Amino acid sequence: MEEQVRQVMGDVLNLDPGSIDGSTSKDSTASWDSLSHINLIVALEQEFQVSFDVSEIESMLGYSDILETLERKIHA
Amino acid sequence: MTSSPNDLSAIRSSFINSLQAGEKFLAIELARTLLNRDQGLRQVTFISRQLEKSPRTKLALRPLKVALLSSFSVEFLRDALAVYSFLSGIDLHLYLPGFGQFQQEIRNPASGLYAFSPDVVILAVEGQDWVPEIYQEFLDKVPEGFDKALARFQEELQSLVQIFRANCKATLLVNNFVPPTWKKLGILDNQSSTGQAQLVHRVNESLASSCQQHPGLFIVDYAGLVHRHGALRWYDDRMNLYARAPIALDMLPWLSREYTKFFRGLTGQTKKCLVLDLDNTLWGGVLGEEGLTGIQLGPVYPGNAYLAFQNAILDLHKRGILLAVASKNNLADVEEVFAHHDKMLLKREHFASVHIDWGLKSDSLLKIASELNIGLEHMVLVDDNPAECEEVARRLPMVTTIALPAQPEKFVPELLQDGWFDGLAFSSEDRRRGELYHQRDEAESLRNSSGSLEEFYRNLEMQVTFASVTKASLSRSAQLTQKTNQFNVTTLRYSEAELAERMQHPNWVLTAAAVRDRFGDNGIVGFSMAQFCADTLEIDTFLLSCRVIGRGIESAMLAHLCNQAIQRGARLIRGRVIPTPKNVPARDLFERHGFTKVSEAVGGATFWALELQLNMVPMPTWMKVHSDVEVAAEL
Repeated sequence: MEEQVRQVMGDVLNLDPGSIDGSTSKDSTASWDSLSHINLIVALEQEFQVSFDVSEIESMLGYSDILETLERKIHA
Repeated sequence: MTSSPNDLSAIRSSFINSLQAGEKFLAIELARTLLNRDQGLRQVTFISRQLEKSPRTKLALRPLKVALLSSFSVEFLRDALAVYSFLSGIDLHLYLPGFGQFQQEIRNPASGLYAFSPDVVILAVEGQDWVPEIYQEFLDKVPEGFDKALARFQEELQSLVQIFRANCKATLLVNNFVPPTWKKLGILDNQSSTGQAQLVHRVNESLASSCQQHPGLFIVDYAGLVHRHGALRWYDDRMNLYARAPIALDMLPWLSREYTKFFRGLTGQTKKCLVLDLDNTLWGGVLGEEGLTGIQLGPVYPGNAYLAFQNAILDLHKRGILLAVASKNNLADVEEVFAHHDKMLLKREHFASVHIDWGLKSDSLLKIASELNIGLEHMVLVDDNPAECEEVARRLPMVTTIALPAQPEKFVPELLQDGWFDGLAFSSEDRRRGELYHQRDEAESLRNSSGSLEEFYRNLEMQVTFASVTKASLSRSAQLTQKTNQFNVTTLRYSEAELAERMQHPNWVLTAAAVRDRFGDNGIVGFSMAQFCADTLEIDTFLLSCRVIGRGIESAMLAHLCNQAIQRGARLIRGRVIPTPKNVPARDLFERHGFTKVSEAVGGATFWALELQLNMVPMPTWMKVHSDVEVAAEL
């Protein structure tokens, strides 16, 4: 799943998937603005066939947060 | 997903390589393959990023400047619109001002919109943002208030369009309005003429009628698009409230595909010919194995699904699309089906060309293109066999290939969803095109049996009618400038609005040439546009439909222009040839008619002139010429 998330982030945020780690966040990444954040959320929904609510959307602001939220979602 | 990640990753690499190498058609084909497997956000953004990095000039894409004005945030549409435009060979330049600014952008002559100088302007306004009286304010209005609301809307629309036209000649595409997902009166709404459903219908009707009044204004059936996908799927309330993005992001490719139908129509890329396979495409089963009585075509599934497909294809024929067959089969077997299968909706005469042999499908397509004298890029191949589609796509990547899904009941949407054949004008010429090609076949066999060329021309008994372009012939004339590639000296594309503007001007002469011959009426097949400047008539546009090349009609058109020039006291008539890969037949037009070459520019454009006191282009004697043209007397 982690590799998949990195691939999605790579495509949507125009990043090299190999460079994505715990430090990759909305604050630290130039290409991760409010617009691409929405794109990223929807792309993750499409990839993993899940649906995020607004509070989750607002909290998924970094690679680690995304992994955590997805883990919860998928194993719920 | 059915594709392995390695598979997709290999295609992505090929796509990147083809972009860098400037192989336009291959890149487009690979992008289409990627999107057919997955048109999700990931894929769309990936392709969009690659396009941004690609060498645009090397790819020789057609630039198109599009301004998108909306009442909500359409920033999310940017990537999808760029990607789907690319699939149609278009390099999209997008102007996206802040949302909610559409009135200001149009009404202010100094706005960014006009400074951008767009080719196309899209007005994507949701109903509640323009006519709130019938949406959110509905229950606060008394029934009489709706007439006022409708009148207010109509006035506003008129004034907006007028101001727009005063400042800009771009094509204007306006989304119509979607009925509200939840009616405030519930099941009572449709019982009265002042329910929301009816009111939205009336607003949409007034939008549609404004199309007829304003050349270059087209309605995008946004309501129809949302209907097809379902409002509950189309709109995303969560993202609307969170990010002011009312349209679900996974629906944006569909919206983009709808707009690109218009972009294709406007850049002369409407497909003209549908080439069909036979086995498991027009009927179920393989003819060579099942025989005439074994193939599935009739009232029972799956035969009825194939009938529905044939019906949709027949509809295309009635719209003026040429049909052809390219199938690996025995000719005798196929002829038997056409002659004896009583369930076939498509008859032999519906097809302008039929190629039944065991050779390469791409070879058949080349032969069909040559026979029908149309470009490969105007052809669509539909085949149930993905290997055949790939063979053609590899060798002839400019042909659009549609590999049919396994279930025949899905054929019709697959054929129709991208509107490959949708054009922006539908003339009587279009309606009769199939018939006209049939006539042309007869004319061709006449040519083969006539002695000299002139004898052949005479035997055609041609009658040419020249008339100034009017509102009635405006649409067809603009269509000709957009579609004609071969016999076209300058290949300048004009919108209806641009032609309409010149129509009003006393120094511009726009002439449509209609031709009848012994076999029937071809309708308007020639168009010229020229401008009087001092003592010279400058030819801006001179073109002839490929259907009637080789009959000397261009000589009559030139002779007619000379006559007009002389009547107005002009001394010189001048023309230009801008060579393109496609207009070889037109390149020697002026030279053949006694014009002198005045100069040649870097890039190959040549300039020609004829001194009218010394020389004339004589009107050919083998045709009858009628003229309705009034030429303004010399001032």
